[in-house]
Order: sequence, then structure tokens, then C-alpha cells
Amino acid sequence: MNEKKERMIFDVTYQPQVRTVRDTQRIMLDVIVATLPIVGFGVYRYGWHALLLVVSSMAAAVFFEWAYRRLLKKSITIDDLSAAVTGLLLVMVLPPQTPVWMAVIGDFFAIVIVKQLYGGIGKNFLNPALAGRAFLTASYSGVLTVVMIDGVTAATPLGYMYSDTPMPFTLAQSFFGAIPGSIGEISSFAILAGAAYLIARKVIRWRIPLSVIGTVFLVSLIFGHSGYGNLEWALQNVCAGGVMFTGIFMATDYATSPVTINGQVIYGIGIGLLTMLIRYFGGYAEGCSYAILIMNLCTWAIDKLCHRRQFGVSKEEFFAQKRAKKNAKKEAV
Amino acid sequence: MNKIIRLALVLFAVSAIVAGVLGVVNALTAPVIDAQKQAKTAAAFASILEAERYDEIDFSNPDFPTVLTVHKAGDAGYVVTSKFSGAQGNITMAVGVDNDFKCTGISIIEHAETSGLGANAASTGDVGVNFREQFVGQDESIALSNNGGSIDALTGATITSRAITEAVATSIWAVESLG
Amino acid sequence: MNRKKQFTEGLVTNNPVLVQQIGMCATMAITTTLFNGVGMGLSVLIILTCCNVVISAIRKMIPGEIRLAIFVVVIAGFVTIVDMLLKAFVPALSEALGVFIPLIVVNCIIIGRAEAFCQKMPVKDSFFDGIFQGIGYTVVLIAMCVVRELLGAGRFGGGLIDVSNGFRFTLDGTGAGIQIFPESYGASIMSLPFGGFLTLGFLIAAMQYALKKSEEKKTKKAEQEKEAEK
Repeated sequence: MNEKKERMIFDVTYQPQVRTVRDTQRIMLDVIVATLPIVGFGVYRYGWHALLLVVSSMAAAVFFEWAYRRLLKKSITIDDLSAAVTGLLLVMVLPPQTPVWMAVIGDFFAIVIVKQLYGGIGKNFLNPALAGRAFLTASYSGVLTVVMIDGVTAATPLGYMYSDTPMPFTLAQSFFGAIPGSIGEISSFAILAGAAYLIARKVIRWRIPLSVIGTVFLVSLIFGHSGYGNLEWALQNVCAGGVMFTGIFMATDYATSPVTINGQVIYGIGIGLLTMLIRYFGGYAEGCSYAILIMNLCTWAIDKLCHRRQFGVSKEEFFAQKRAKKNAKKEAV
Repeated sequence: MNKIIRLALVLFAVSAIVAGVLGVVNALTAPVIDAQKQAKTAAAFASILEAERYDEIDFSNPDFPTVLTVHKAGDAGYVVTSKFSGAQGNITMAVGVDNDFKCTGISIIEHAETSGLGANAASTGDVGVNFREQFVGQDESIALSNNGGSIDALTGATITSRAITEAVATSIWAVESLG
Repeated sequence: MNRKKQFTEGLVTNNPVLVQQIGMCATMAITTTLFNGVGMGLSVLIILTCCNVVISAIRKMIPGEIRLAIFVVVIAGFVTIVDMLLKAFVPALSEALGVFIPLIVVNCIIIGRAEAFCQKMPVKDSFFDGIFQGIGYTVVLIAMCVVRELLGAGRFGGGLIDVSNGFRFTLDGTGAGIQIFPESYGASIMSLPFGGFLTLGFLIAAMQYALKKSEEKKTKKAEQEKEAEK
């Protein structure tokens, strides 16, 4: 029994591990800080409604977490800020015209059903914010699958790119954010600033974002599209849609991404490939949120596949162990 | 051996009784079901091309694989039903075509489009009614406004709108092919 | 056989959907409007009762080896009869339920009751078993319809109730139902299969919670009585 308990404490990530004083609250605070430039830019582009959305969604997410844990007489976990981050990330991937009440419903689904019903922070198998978005998009597709600015429907760059109409946005416009889109996805520049902060603070590692964005870049570079230069097409694919934001802020969610190093790369490549599949062949113009949800479901299997030898165990010993296990299984049969 | 024969006989007897009962019920309900079906088709067709009677005519032109049936609607023209793929699944639609080869109306019988987007094409609300009314009076050169025609696509449902527009054109061609 | 006990078994303690967890496919697929739920529930109730009575009546003639085959033939017969009757006289319901009426043939509730109950029990008991289990099934369907319709479309009683010209029941499925909040506010995913899974999950959880609570209460009471005796 004792032995098992010890395993449960230490077996949380790929070895070797280091103990530090960093806790969930610190990490979540870093994420919030990293999104500040993006939120700031969103407010600049879309006005006070964007700020109202962000604040009310964060408040609602925290409230649902508190209410659920209170009702079920569990420890209150709102001060680790993870619920606030979920509320924040949810509105970042919703179009700017989303009514506040819709975001609140999304928060309810993300926090109560996706996160808390499975045991709370660290035990959910889907990214709560993205699952909340998927729930809302399926429920209110008429409102949420278009982007409206000042009450007028605006076609997003990806909408142009994957229909046969010519694209009115230049690469610089896509990169700096002079395009219509969700609050979180418009300015790649602001997102990269946030990403630099997160990586500098060691909140996220570069492997997952790079493999996601790199795969999208490579696939679009290879397959291209008529009417675009291959390089331009590839860069637009990276900058114009949600890949940059979701690849950096969503795919790196600790609980739902692999802990093994090889696993993280496989996971990232999977997300990139699925995103491009949905973009080229799917019914929606953008698919990276669904790609991440699908790969979330594969995380467990990927980690299992990429399980490597323990720190301090030599190669020979590792293979000997493996063989012994195999033989034992054979004999048992 | 005897046992197997006995088992088979019991099963046969039960099946025979059930089949007999089913036969009786079928004989009683078949005419009612048929009348219901007729009434339903007539109601569906009347909204797009009014006529006293609808007679199915033989239509098996390999150039039109999507066309299911063609009904001659008295002297008013023809009603063509076709099944084609939309954005999510197959759409079954009836199109009225008059003697000048102009569309007199469309009615979506079955579909599996996204609710709130493509499904608006079949809705009884203003969005659906306005969308379907655009097709009245169109001829074979029908096209979406994106492609130089005059049909405005449903918001966020270009694929569905295009599929329906193309199917209307196909239906008109099918009637033209009758001569 | 105690009728009251049979009744609570069908409705609560041995509810076909929430406790035995059988016949869930149709439960999740069709419970989008109250009209569908009531129609499906009643169809199953009628088919279940008829099958129970017939199978119980011929139970002594059925050789054990081919009993399943005979059950299926009898069930398929009744399902087809109900299917034809619905098509002829309630076409709206037949259209709304579509393939799920013929699929009652493979609904586990009916063959499950035949196998577990009717092949051992007299006709009278089987008759009441069919009715009570059918009611248990119908009640769950209605509960799911009410929840999903309300959350998904903001409506109550779609197809079954019409309030445009004063309150009345529409048995042909044309009633618009009572709009509680505008449909555009409803989360339409609740009307899709996903909403079915979600609602059923919550219902089963609530049922298990209630059963556990009543069990705890019973053991507590028994303990207290034991102590009092001492």
C-alpha cells in the first residue's frame, strides 16, 4: 500500500524530475499575464464588449467551480486560478460578437461537466475551454460560426482561403491582426509575445507549439493552393487562423497533453495534420480546436507508446526487463 | 433426429401463425397506408406546383443519376424529386418545373444539414421561406450570387446553398431532356 | 405475486432503463420532443405487454433449445403489427420515430423480460409485468424528453400540446408546444445524440444516488430496531 502511494506521488511526469516551489497558482497567473497583450489587442479591435466578455466569462467560470465544489462538499479550489484561466481561454476562441450569456453557458459546460465531473483540475481528459467551445459551436452554430464586427458579417481569412474567392488580406495584416476573427486568434504578433513570456518563465516547453505550427506550415507548404505562392500560402495558414493561439495556449495544457518528450512531438504533429485535413477537406474553414480535442483523447495511448527507460537504468537492463516481461506473459498464457 | 424435426416443426408453426396474423393486418392497413402516402405527396407537391393530379412517369436517364422520380403535374408542368449530397448528408428535394422550363418552387423533403446553418434551407421560418422563394421563376442558368447568379446563399452555408442551386438546375435539365 | 412490489420494481428499483440499463439506444435517439417520447413509450408498452402475455401463455409448449428464436418471431410479429398500425393511423409519429419502431424488435427490454420473467411466470403476472415495466420505460423517456426539449429548444410538449387556440392536445403531432424561452437561446446540441448521452448519464446518476440513499436509510433503520430489541 505504502509503495503504491509513493508511486502515485512521483509518477507524474517523465523522469528525471526536479522539485521547485512553483505551484498551480503561479503557473496560471503566468498564463493570464501572457494573454494580456492578446486581450489588450482584442479590446483595441473590438471595443468594450470584448473586455466585458473576458471579465464575465472568468467570473462565471470561477463561480461555477466554487458552486460545484461547495455543493458537493469538496475542498474549494478556485484560488489556484485554473478556473479563471479556463474562462479566459474560452472567450479567446469565440467570435467577438458572442453574447455574454452564451459564454456563461460555455463556462458551465467546461467547468462542471468537462472538468469537475471527472474529478477537477488535472483529471479532465479534454481541454475544458475547447470542449466548452465545441459545445457552444454545436449548440448555437448560427451565431458562432460567423464573425461579426459592428453587426456586419465579416469573412475570415480562412473563409476566403478555402473558398475560391480571392483573399483581400496581406500577410502583414494577418500577422499583426488587421483581420476579422476570434479575440484570441487575430494578432499573431501579440500571441508570439505571450508565448515568449510563457517559454521564458518555463510554463510551457517549445516542443508542442513548434510541432503543431511546424506541421501546419510544412503540410501547407507542400500541398499549396491554386492562386497562392506556396510560401505565402503556408505563412497565411499559420498566421491567419487559430493554429498559433490554440497550439501555444491550448495544446500545451498539462492535464491533456502527453508527458513524454517523444509523445509531445507526436501529439503536436497529430494536431497539425488533423487541422490541415479539416481545413482542406472538412466542412468548417478552421479545425484546430477539433484537432486538439481529438488528440486529447489519444494522449493516454501516446504516453503509453512513448514510455521510455527510467533514469539510471542502462539500455541493456531496459531491454532485458522488457524481454523478461514478454516471456512471463507468454508463460502465463 | 426426431428431436430436431420436432423443434423445426414448433418453430415453423409459430412462424406460420405470426405470418398469418401479419398478413391479415397488412391486408387491413395497406390501403390506408397507401392513401396516407398519396395525400402526403400531393400535399408536398401542391405547394410548389399546383395541379389536379400527379402521375409518375418513367424516367431512367443515366445522365441524371441524382433524379429519383418525375411526376407529370397535369398540364402545369413537372415535379422532379432528386437526392443529392449537401454539406453533411444527402438532401432529398422536390422541384416544380413549368412548361417554359422555369422553376415554380422547391420543397426540401429530407436533409441532415447543420442546424442553424444549412438546415435553415428547410426551415419554416422567414430565413427558409425567403431562401426558397428566390428560386421561383429561375431558369436553367440559375447560380449563386457569388458565381454571377441571383441566388443569395444562406449565411454560413454556402455548400448547402450551392448544392440546392445545382440540383434545381439539374432538375430543369432533366425536364428539358424529356422533350 | 405482489402487484405493489411489481409496480415499484418496474418504475423504480428495477427500472428497465435506469437500473437494468437496457433498451438505451432508442432512449437516446428519439427523446427530442414529448410527442416522440410518449409515442415510443406507449408503443413499447403495448408491444411488451402483448409479447409478455403470448410468451407466458405458450411457455409450456416452447422447447428450451429454440426459445430465443421463438421469442424473436413473436416479438417481430407484434412490432410489425404496431408499425403498420402507426403508419396507417398516426403517420406523424411513424415518421418521427422512423427506423426506431422496427428496431423495437431488437430492444433488449422485450426479449429481456421474456427471458427473465415470462418464461417462468403465469399469464396474469406477465401481463402486469409488461404494463409496469412499460410504464417505467415511458416515464424515463418522458423525463428525458422534457429535459432535452427544454434545454435544447426552450419548449415543453412539442407535437403533443398546442396553445395557439387555447390549450389542447394534438394527437397528430402538429402542436407547437409551449415555448418557455425563445428557441434561439436553446442549446441545440441537447437535441442531438450527445444531449441524449448527457441527459441519460445524469438521470442514471440521480437514480443510483436515490437508491443508495434509501438503502442507507433502510440499513440504519434495521440497526436501530436491532438495538431497540436489545
